[in-house]
Amino acid sequence: MPKLRHIAIAAEDPDAMAEFYKQAFDFVEVGRPNGVLADGVFLSDGTLNMAILKFKTDQLGKGMDFRGIHHFGVLVEDVEAFSKKLESLGAERYIDQGQGGNQAGYFEKKFYGPEGVLFDVAEHGWAGAEPLPTPIKEAAE
Amino acid sequence: MAKLRHIAIAANDPDAMAEFYKKAFDFKEVRKSDGPLAYGYHLSDGTIDLAILRFKTDQTGKGLDYTGLHHFGVLVEDVAKVAKKVEGLGGRHYMDQGADRVGGFEVKFYGPEGVLFDVAEHPWAGTEPLPVERAAAE
Repeated sequence: MPKLRHIAIAAEDPDAMAEFYKQAFDFVEVGRPNGVLADGVFLSDGTLNMAILKFKTDQLGKGMDFRGIHHFGVLVEDVEAFSKKLESLGAERYIDQGQGGNQAGYFEKKFYGPEGVLFDVAEHGWAGAEPLPTPIKEAAE
Repeated sequence: MAKLRHIAIAANDPDAMAEFYKKAFDFKEVRKSDGPLAYGYHLSDGTIDLAILRFKTDQTGKGLDYTGLHHFGVLVEDVAKVAKKVEGLGGRHYMDQGADRVGGFEVKFYGPEGVLFDVAEHPWAGTEPLPVERAAAE
């Protein structure tokens, strides 16, 4: 089953916000993304990647001053297969990112689901996120 | 370590949205709820609770017509201890949800820039417990 492995928060001051969650919950800093879409801090609780980001474009249509939880990400086995499925269910493709670009080794597709909720689908886990569980058969071998 | 175990989305039509995520990702419906704060569904990926809710009050100050990601929840060992820590760091206490309700006791806070989050000791329905709890149970 696909797994929720990423949650992104839109912040005015990602450093200060990241510091709060590091101190409050002992989340660990695992990266400092600096891309075309956003800059900020990646934290991890050992299972999920929590991205605290200052966005550079208005991805949600809620304005550049939007603050709060911005989108989430789902780790899947096969992005292409899921992309087809998502589009057949009415999701709208927004953007592909990664693959040799500013986030090499990492590829994801962004979709708008019902009511314009933005989410990512990726095969390669976000920094500090747990991989998909190993299938039982494979694990036994 | 505390664990992120709950993500809540504000929806106008939780029935349709929940159906989408069930079909899209095989997330399982673990509970349907209609409480004083919201109506909607709790889905699970086996680890995280994805709540898809139509809120009845404006908890985030974005208006009742706001749709999108709403808040997240962190599972901790000791809510009282973490609550003190969060307040010491400048988090603002919003409300306590009673232990008598389905889903159990949790405390809601506003963190930096008004981001709303829950802190709970009792795992949300369908979610993984804290790793230490699992180890203790074995």
